[in-house]
Amino acid sequence: MTEFTDTFTEPRRKRDAASRFHTAAIIAIPLAAILFQVYVPQFIKYLSYLELPLLVTVYFSLMRRSPIAGVLFGAGIGLAQDSLSSHPLGMFGIVKTLVGYFAASMSQRFEVENSVVRLILAFFFCFFHQFFYWVLARALLGEGLDFDPQQTIVVSMLNAAVAVPLFHILDKLKVTG
Amino acid sequence: MEYLLNRYRTLSVLLLAILAQLVLLAYQVKSNGEVRLIRVWAVTAVTPLARAIESTRGAVSRFFSDYFVLLDVREENKRLKKELDRVNMDNQYLRSELDTADRAKSLAIFQSRSPSKTIAAHIIGNTTGSGAKTVIVDRGSASGVQKEMAVITPDGIVGKVVDVYPTASFVLLATDPSFAAGVISQKNRVHGTLKGQGGTKVIVDYVQNEENVEPGEWFYTSGDDGIFPKGLPAGEVTSVHPGKSKKEIILSPSGFQNGLEEVLIIIEGVHAPIPELPAPHQQIHVQPPPPPETSSAQPGGASGPPAATAPPAVPLSDADRILDRYRQLGIAEKHEWGVRGRGAPDFNLPLDAAKPAEAPKPKQNQ
Amino acid sequence: MLTPIETERQVPETPRQLRDDTRFALGRIVVFQYLAVAIFLLLISGFWILQVREHAANDELAERNRVKTVPLLAPRGKMLDRDGRVIVDNHLAWEVRLGRENLKPEHIDAIAAGLHLDPEEIRAKLRRFASRPSYVPITIKQELTPGELAFVEAHRDAQTFPELELIQHEGRLYPRNGLAAHVIGYVGEVSEQELDSPEFAKYSQGDMVGKFGLERQYNDTLIGIDGQKRVVVDSLGRERQVLDDVEPTPGHNLQLTLDLDLQAVAELGMEGRRGAVVALDPRSGEVLAMVSRPAFDPNLFATRIRADDWKNLTSDPGNPLLNRAIQAQLAPGSTFKPIVALAALESGAIDENYTVRCGGSAVWYGRVFKCWVKGAHGPMNVHTGLVHSCDVYFYNIGNKTGIDTIAEYAEMAGYGHKTGIDLPGEAEGVVPSTKWKLRNFREKWYAGETISVAIGQGALTVTPLQLAYAIGGLAMHGVWYRPHLVKGEDPGPPRRANLNPANVDRVLDGMYGVVNEAGGTGVSAAIPGIPICGKTGSAQRISNQLAKSVKATKEMKDNSWFVAFAPRQNPEIVVAVLWENAEHGNLSAPIARDVIKAYFDKKARQTMPKTQQMALFVH
Repeated sequence: MTEFTDTFTEPRRKRDAASRFHTAAIIAIPLAAILFQVYVPQFIKYLSYLELPLLVTVYFSLMRRSPIAGVLFGAGIGLAQDSLSSHPLGMFGIVKTLVGYFAASMSQRFEVENSVVRLILAFFFCFFHQFFYWVLARALLGEGLDFDPQQTIVVSMLNAAVAVPLFHILDKLKVTG
Repeated sequence: MEYLLNRYRTLSVLLLAILAQLVLLAYQVKSNGEVRLIRVWAVTAVTPLARAIESTRGAVSRFFSDYFVLLDVREENKRLKKELDRVNMDNQYLRSELDTADRAKSLAIFQSRSPSKTIAAHIIGNTTGSGAKTVIVDRGSASGVQKEMAVITPDGIVGKVVDVYPTASFVLLATDPSFAAGVISQKNRVHGTLKGQGGTKVIVDYVQNEENVEPGEWFYTSGDDGIFPKGLPAGEVTSVHPGKSKKEIILSPSGFQNGLEEVLIIIEGVHAPIPELPAPHQQIHVQPPPPPETSSAQPGGASGPPAATAPPAVPLSDADRILDRYRQLGIAEKHEWGVRGRGAPDFNLPLDAAKPAEAPKPKQNQ
Repeated sequence: MLTPIETERQVPETPRQLRDDTRFALGRIVVFQYLAVAIFLLLISGFWILQVREHAANDELAERNRVKTVPLLAPRGKMLDRDGRVIVDNHLAWEVRLGRENLKPEHIDAIAAGLHLDPEEIRAKLRRFASRPSYVPITIKQELTPGELAFVEAHRDAQTFPELELIQHEGRLYPRNGLAAHVIGYVGEVSEQELDSPEFAKYSQGDMVGKFGLERQYNDTLIGIDGQKRVVVDSLGRERQVLDDVEPTPGHNLQLTLDLDLQAVAELGMEGRRGAVVALDPRSGEVLAMVSRPAFDPNLFATRIRADDWKNLTSDPGNPLLNRAIQAQLAPGSTFKPIVALAALESGAIDENYTVRCGGSAVWYGRVFKCWVKGAHGPMNVHTGLVHSCDVYFYNIGNKTGIDTIAEYAEMAGYGHKTGIDLPGEAEGVVPSTKWKLRNFREKWYAGETISVAIGQGALTVTPLQLAYAIGGLAMHGVWYRPHLVKGEDPGPPRRANLNPANVDRVLDGMYGVVNEAGGTGVSAAIPGIPICGKTGSAQRISNQLAKSVKATKEMKDNSWFVAFAPRQNPEIVVAVLWENAEHGNLSAPIARDVIKAYFDKKARQTMPKTQQMALFVH
């Protein structure tokens, strides 16, 4: 770890720095997100549009800045979500794997602490997530779900709007130093 | 080389992760198989958490509702009364029991009254993802739940069990497009098939145009499908239109009207009779919920003999009609067929004129 | 699933100066990475298509899960009466098929229970079709009830019984009460034996073909050509896309010569009785009505008939599956006398003045033959002999004419041969003669037998259709048109006999007297204003088989026959009635009378103005 200390402390290189989290947080937060998605929408219907597991994936991938971590993270959350769904295992897994990978890759090129960047990235990944899920369902499962770009954009914007404050809260869980 | 491997380590991990999941998917799609074990683990792991949350929420909301009742009794009373009225109208079984508006209690009462053996279950989650309308309930094979069991509320049918895990089950809701159940109309005993549409309404399919179904009429389960025992309310007809070859009937499913929190899973179904037109428990003077655009077919006690004996509307051919016509002529003229009697009947007698009086006054012909 | 953070390494392990120096190169590498991912995804999708989807497609099994061929079953043609009114209609129906490649044997019991079938029946069927390719589904039930439909719909999802397939078709809708059931016939699923025969080679399991009556006779006309559509279904079994679509071609309608008005009256006349009614137009051979009772309900056959229904039908002593109109071969009794009289007159055995004194009985060849009447008829000639149906008179002229001449004229009138009606299974009847006896029994004809035949008994048997046909042609002075049931069908040239019109008129006058003269045996058939000629007959139930069991014959009541035509000149309708076990000869006359009345009432109706017709008869 020592060879990176300079990178780590250098202010200009801050965007290359990986944030660290407690293992407990890394397990508990996605679980909470999945539980939220499974449980809450039955009381508040509109919340079913909220893709918390996805936002959590994006957040951790962005902040960890490691594509490998992003991949494993995305796959983990996706598969957990799959196993609570009624479709074949792997659908959310693949989509979220890709999201994790791309988010981590992005993090190396953008200032991920910036709220505007976060908003845009969250929006982008939400849209990508919905779209790619649809593509997968169509191509792999032959499910003829309809893709409504307009609705997807609106949903993605909503998610992005939630993402900014949510990421801000999650920032507090970072292990500094 | 090492440099290259290092350089593409991330990529390899990504591709490996995707490949692994694709193989997993391919296995499921190709063998039509289930990776049950993973699901069982996941569901079993999540269930206690979800159950804990649900019971906490229940307790908290009860506490708060009590608290607010105390805080603003009048306001809450009003709201409760309103709620009560609604529930009262919707719920045919529990009208006298609703003083407390306690759903749990009414569920228990229904459970004890229902001839079928049921177990109560809490809904602890929706399945994630789009498409199927499925919920998770906190009862599984450990409680005797099996696949294809009926799930109901006192208000009506909810769905059927499609997947069973030790501590939880997945319930396919009646509104899902792949859901179907046998139903029968209350008034004319018209059989049909209830099908989900993906939205909030359901349809009743395979009802011939000749059959008589009215808006506002209720459909009950018919017991034909082997899932639901006969006699459970399914929903109320909101619209009926003659279609190309069969009627298009839209139903508002009654099982969902009061939100879904607790449901009953029918472990051992017992067929019950379809309630006669004046709904069961007549001591309470509430008709089945009035239809939005009142057909006003039978107000209150005016429902004399139940029309349940109406003959099935099997189409008649011309041959049947002509035979009937001649039979009527024979009756009108007191003709005994194939007997010498008073000679051959007049087959050109206008039937309407002949019917009322014995002395026929045939319409004057030129 | 998550690597511990502490061991996580930051990616760039490249020397720092490299990164600093070659931002451009790094950018290129990133682009290369994305490219690699894209290529990888492309490869993966190729893998997927080749290994998962295409592989499955070759597999036929999974292919059918995605691209489904849905048969579009063609409706059979309708049957209409001569006025275009519908006798046999179609109605929307559903059948369920078992897709065998998805079939799990443990499902069969549950499926059978839900569809009210015998699971063993399904298993037997599966075994019988085991040799056929497994992608051909087998039909296990047709004409599903709404309840069975609900069962199939509720369970045909991928998780429960994916082997259930629901197909829409047009089911047959026959008249109720067995109206014209024997004429119409019924359809049924093509049997496995039939499938093996070349005639049915073009059909496949589950196809409905005519099995009886006109449905069978005109199966090729009535049957349509099934279409099919190939659809893409998603994993939920919902149709997403129609690939191609071949519309079914409906079968041709069949317009019959039957007149529902007459048919209805004839049916009502025979209600609760055993026997048959045939009404023909002697001018063309068109069958106006044909009734056989007891009847069966063809709607029972519209699906696959249930085993117990079939047992009930076949074990019924009334034999409802027998079309008595064309298959009951019974002694015609006195309805044969006009033919004997004609034979005697034409052959010159007697002249019109030949008279016999009836003393109530007579002795022939050492045996006493009684007249049917109690007491005696007294002096009888051809006319009065027919009017009173005097047996003694006909013993005499029969004896004078001889069996072979009688047989000649009987065959001329159509007895002893099929009339050629367009229905399967017509019987021939028997016209005994010296040759016939020699051929069949290698025995000499005894003159005493002629005496019995002269009054329509003995070995002589006819069908109701033959009776109507014979008398109808006689009424036409010797012109016989082939009876037929389909309108517009060319009956071919009629058979003509060179008869002396004066002799024919003598016989027909006698038949007029039967109905219209005091003491005539058929006066109960008279209708004021309509000149009806007729002949009654009562015959002992003697058929070749039954003749042996004398005890049975004694216990059986006589069959009552009546044949009539009208008008006397230029006849338009001839009606034959058989009422089995009715005891007395003239009892069936009112049945024929009502049919004839219905004919002429309808004729009167058709001359009325349209509006009045409508008021009278709402179809």
